[in-house]
Amino acid sequence: MSDELTPSRPIPIEHTKAADEGPVERYVFTPPIDIYETEEGLGLHADLPGVSVESLELQVQDNKLTLFGRVNDVIPEGAKILHQEYEIGDYLRSFILSDEVDHERINAKLTNGVLEVALPRAPKSEPRRIQVKTD
Amino acid sequence: MAVFRWGQNWDAFHDLEREVDRLLQSVNLTFQGLRFGRQYPPVNLYELDEEYLLTAEVPGTRGEDLELTVAGGVLSIKGRRSDLEEIPSERFRRQERPRGTWQRSLKIPERIEEDQMSAEFNNGILKIHLPKAEALQARQIPIAEGGE
Repeated sequence: MSDELTPSRPIPIEHTKAADEGPVERYVFTPPIDIYETEEGLGLHADLPGVSVESLELQVQDNKLTLFGRVNDVIPEGAKILHQEYEIGDYLRSFILSDEVDHERINAKLTNGVLEVALPRAPKSEPRRIQVKTD
Repeated sequence: MAVFRWGQNWDAFHDLEREVDRLLQSVNLTFQGLRFGRQYPPVNLYELDEEYLLTAEVPGTRGEDLELTVAGGVLSIKGRRSDLEEIPSERFRRQERPRGTWQRSLKIPERIEEDQMSAEFNNGILKIHLPKAEALQARQIPIAEGGE
């Protein structure tokens, strides 16, 4: 794939459990995302229901953008589950950024369980004239 | 005149039959479409001492676009995912998230105080509280002595 922004790993169909999450095993999901072109570069939206600003980590290291959202479950103690269509767990996904993305200007917000990341294009460098001197 | 007319609906028995059906349904907690694939939004149902708690994952729907109605033991939830609506499809590099309007009707457990239901919406999770009605007491039916 020649996308500037490509997920660094395929979407697993099966849930994977975090190996070393402490005594309680938690699910880790790959959240669904949209990537689209904007005037300034690229936009990324990810569905992270249950994640709050305080429990979301967004990190850029080298050319990799990683999002990790922890779901702080507020189901009351002693609740008995009668019917279940979704599991509760955390969200993890990473992306390879192209050199075209201006890493310094990446910004993000979280609204109604959706993370919105703006990935502005780095300004094109202007051609620079190099003076040639003569002896 | 015959007291019992066999073969005709006697209202009291009819009601009893309907009541038993309703009780059975509330035990099974049959949700519509449960066996027919994944529906949007996915929901969980919990039971607590005082209430049932229904939770749904609806990221990307604004609170003002959520509509909840309850009638005849059926809860309807409706909404619209409005983010990125204005982005034309040719601009998408990748599209994995569901979009558009959604609607779901759920049969709620029996004996709910429908007028005391409440809901909260945080971080894309909708929580609907369904308070249990007072347990019905078993009632003694007095038998009148046949007077001469």
